[in-house]
Amino acid sequence: MINRTKWLSVPGLVWLGIFFFIPLLLVTVLSFMERGTYGQVVYSFTLQNYVRFFDPLYVSILFDTLVVSVLTTLLSLMIGYPLAYYIARMDKKWQHTWLLAVMIPFWINFLVRSYAWVVILRTQGVVNTFLQSLGLITEPLPLLYNFGAVMLGMVYTLLPFMVLPIYVSLEQMDRRKLEAAYDLGATPLKAFWHVTLPLTRPGIVTGSILVFVSSIGMFVVPDVMGGAKSALIGNVIQNQFLSARDWPFGSALSIILMLLCIVLIFLYYRVIRVQEREGGVE
Amino acid sequence: MKKIKALLAGMLVFTLALGAAGCSSSEEEKVLNIYSWADNFNPDVIKDFEQKYQVKVNYDVFSSNEEMLAKLQAGASAYDLIQPSDYMVSTMIQLGLLEELDKGKIPNLGNMVSTFKAPAFDPENKYSIIYTWGVTGIAYNKKYVKDEIDSWSDLWNPAYKDRVIMLNDPREVLGMSLIKNGYSNSTKDKAELEKAFNDLKTVVPGVIAFDTDNIKQKMIAEEAWIGTVWSGDAAFINEQNPDVEYVVPKEGATIWADTLAIPKGAKHKAIAEEFINYLMDPEVSVKNYEWVGYSNPNEKAYPLHSEEYRANKMIFLDQKDLERTEWLMDVGEVLPEYDRYWTELKSGR
Amino acid sequence: MGGSRRSLFSVYSWVVMIFLYLPIVILMLYSFNDSRINAVWTGFTWKWYLSLFENRQVMDALSNSLVIAITSSIIATALGTLAALALHRFSDKWKAVMNGLIYLPIIIPEVLMGLSLLVLFSQIGFPLGKLTMIAAHVTFGISFVVVIVSARLSGMGDELQEAAQDLGATPWQTFRHITLPVIAPGIVASLLLTFTMSLDDFIISFFVAGPNSTTLPLYIYGLVKRGVSPEVNALSTLMIAVTILLLLISEIFRRKGMAKESNSQLPI
Repeated sequence: MINRTKWLSVPGLVWLGIFFFIPLLLVTVLSFMERGTYGQVVYSFTLQNYVRFFDPLYVSILFDTLVVSVLTTLLSLMIGYPLAYYIARMDKKWQHTWLLAVMIPFWINFLVRSYAWVVILRTQGVVNTFLQSLGLITEPLPLLYNFGAVMLGMVYTLLPFMVLPIYVSLEQMDRRKLEAAYDLGATPLKAFWHVTLPLTRPGIVTGSILVFVSSIGMFVVPDVMGGAKSALIGNVIQNQFLSARDWPFGSALSIILMLLCIVLIFLYYRVIRVQEREGGVE
Repeated sequence: MKKIKALLAGMLVFTLALGAAGCSSSEEEKVLNIYSWADNFNPDVIKDFEQKYQVKVNYDVFSSNEEMLAKLQAGASAYDLIQPSDYMVSTMIQLGLLEELDKGKIPNLGNMVSTFKAPAFDPENKYSIIYTWGVTGIAYNKKYVKDEIDSWSDLWNPAYKDRVIMLNDPREVLGMSLIKNGYSNSTKDKAELEKAFNDLKTVVPGVIAFDTDNIKQKMIAEEAWIGTVWSGDAAFINEQNPDVEYVVPKEGATIWADTLAIPKGAKHKAIAEEFINYLMDPEVSVKNYEWVGYSNPNEKAYPLHSEEYRANKMIFLDQKDLERTEWLMDVGEVLPEYDRYWTELKSGR
Repeated sequence: MGGSRRSLFSVYSWVVMIFLYLPIVILMLYSFNDSRINAVWTGFTWKWYLSLFENRQVMDALSNSLVIAITSSIIATALGTLAALALHRFSDKWKAVMNGLIYLPIIIPEVLMGLSLLVLFSQIGFPLGKLTMIAAHVTFGISFVVVIVSARLSGMGDELQEAAQDLGATPWQTFRHITLPVIAPGIVASLLLTFTMSLDDFIISFFVAGPNSTTLPLYIYGLVKRGVSPEVNALSTLMIAVTILLLLISEIFRRKGMAKESNSQLPI
C-alpha cells in the first residue's frame, strides 16, 4: 500500500507538467532567440542573451539583490519565529483566530497597503508629524525612498511565508521532549537551542526558502517604497518584458536566476544536513 | 479549524450566489470588449451607449502599454477596442497588430482639431484616433521654488537636491535629457544617447523618487518640489494644491496621446467604430472629457465646454508651447540600449 | 518561570500585530477622506461607500476575485496535499529530485510564469477567462501546499502509520484517523496561504485574464495611472469588516455548540 501512495502525486505532477513544465520549455527556447527591431521574437539561435548577463552592471545588481534577499530572510525569521512560537503555544481555540488575524492584512491589495505605508512614512506623514508635534525632531526624517524603507516593505510583504511554515512545525512539536530537557536541568535558552530549534528545523528551512526565493524576484516593493531608485534583478527582468520589450533577454535572465536559486537551495540543504548529523552526534 | 471551515463555507455560498447572478445575462446581446486604462471613460457615457445601441460593454483594464502589447502579441485577443499611446501605435502598426479604421463609419472624425488629425506616429490617421493628449513639462511648488522656472536645467539646480521627482519611464527621462541637450527625444544616435545619460547621472543622486503612478500624490503632499509631470496630472495636482505651477520648458518637451484603435482580428469591429463615432459626438464628448479631466481634441465640442475647463492652461496648452513639442517614436533596435542606460542610472553606480 | 516569559512573548506578538495592522488602519481612515486621491486629508465623507455600490466594475472585480481565489485554493490544496503524501514515500534521492521540481514554480519570476502560461493558452487556442485564471492560480499554489504539508509530514514518524496497518486498518482508515489529523494544520495553513496569494496576485493574473475576468488587483493596478480611488479603500475596509464579522459569528456558534455538548455531558 505504501507503494500505491506514490500514485497520489500523479494528479499534482500532471497538472504541473501541463501548466508549468511545458510552458517553461517554451520559454527556455525563447531565451536562445533574438529580439527583432520592434520587440518581436526572431527565431534564430543565439547565446548572446546569456553572454549579455555577464555585463558587470547586471552581475552587480544580482549581488545587491542577493544581499537584500538574505537580509529579508534573516529579519523575517527573527520577527516571525517568536510570533509563530507564541501562536503555537496558546490555547488551541485561539490559535486559528490568531493565524487568521496574521493573514487578513494580506487580503487587502498589496498596492493599497504599500500606499498606506507611504502615507505613514513620508515627510508630512503620520510618523514625522507625530514626532514633530512631540518636539523630538525639528526637521522631518527621511524615512522613505531609501534602503531601510525597501527592507521594511520586503519584510512586511513576506512575513506570512515565514510565520505559517514555522507555526505548522512548532504546533507539531512533541512537548514531552522539552519537558525532558527541563527535567535534566536545562535552562530555557539551552532547551530552546538544543530541543525546540532542531525540532522545528523543517519549518525554518521551508519558511526561509519561501521568503528567500520570493524576495529575489521582487520588484514592486523597491518601486513603491524605494522610489524606484535601486534596481533589483526583479526590476531588470520586469523591464525586459514591460519596457525594453526584449523577451529573449528577459527569459535568459529568468533562467539564470532560477538556476542560481536551485544551486543555493541545494547548498542550503547540504549545510542543514551536515548540521543535523553533527547535532545527532552531540 | 471549525471557524475556518465555517468561514470558507460562507464565502463559497456567497461566491456561488454571485456567480449565478453573473451568468444570468443572455448570450444573444451585441458585445463590445474594451481594453484600456481604468477610469478612462465616464461610466454614464458607456451606460448611455449601451442603452442607445443595445450593446453590452465589457471594460477590462491594463496599467501600461507594454502589458497590453505583450498580451496582444502572444496572440490572445478577444478585444474590439484598445487605447495604445502614441509610440505604441507606431510599434503596433509595424508589428501588424492594428486593424485599419473604416472612416466611412466614423463621420464625427471631422470634428477633430486639425492639428491632431495627422500625428507623426500615424501620419495618415489610418489606424488610430487621438483620444486624450498632454505634454510632459515641469511642475513645481512655488512655496519652495522661488526662482523662475523655464528650462529643464532647473531640475539640476542644487537648491532642489533630494526634492526632484521624475517619471519612472526610460523613454520619458532619457528623452527629457536628450531634449535638454538639443537632440531629438527619439534619437537612435548612440553618442547623443550617451551624452544625455552622462548628464542625467549628475542629477539622479538628488532625485527623491522615480514615479509615474503616484507622482500626483508626491507633488500634492509636497514631498517633491519640482519634477517632470504630464500636463493633465499637473491640472489635477493644481486643483488639489494651488501652489503647484506648470510650465513647458523653453528647450521643448515631449507630447503624448492615448488613442482609440482596433486590434487585428477584432470580432466586433463595426460596434467598436460605432462607439468611436459616438465618443466624438460633441455633446457626448463634453460629458465624457469633463469627467475624465484630460484635454478634449474635439473642435466642435470646444464652445460647449464649461468656462472653467476651457480656461485651464494645463488642459488646453498655449499654441506656442505646443509648437516646441515632439512625439516619442519607436526607436526599434536601439531600445535595449535605452534600457541598459536606464538600469545603470538606477543601479547607483 | 513561565509567566514572565509568556507575557514577554505576548507583548512582542502584539507589537508585530500592530506592525501588520498599522497600514490597514491608515487605509481604513483614508476611506473616509474627501479627496479623490489619497495624498492629503481634506475632510470626512461617506461618499466613497455610497459610490462603491454603484461602481459595477469594482463589484464585478470583487466577485471574480472571490470565485477564483476560493476555487483555486481548494484545488491547489487538494492536489498539493496528495502530492506531498506521495512524495513522503519516495526514497531520499528521488525526494530530493522531486523537491527540486516542486520548488521551481516558486522560484521562477512571476512575469515569466505569466508569459509562459499565456503562450501555452494561445498556442492551444484556449480562450482566456476565469478558467485560465483558476488554472494559473492553482499552478503557482500547488508548490506552496506541497512545501508546507511536507514540512508537517517530515516531522511525523512512520511508526504510527505502520502500527495502524499492523492492526489491520485499511489505507483509508489509516489516512482518516492517523495521517489526516497530523497534517490538518498544514492543510489549513495551505488553504489560507493559497487563498491569500490568489486574492492578491497581479502579474500572473494579468497575462491570463480575458474579457470578464478582471479581478480586484487587476482593476486596482489599472487605476494607478489616474490615482487609486478611495472607493478601493472603502472596499478594503468592508472586506476586513465582513471577515471579522464572520469570525465573530462562527465564534459565537462554536461557543454555543460547546455549551450544548458540555450540557449533554453533565448528567452522565
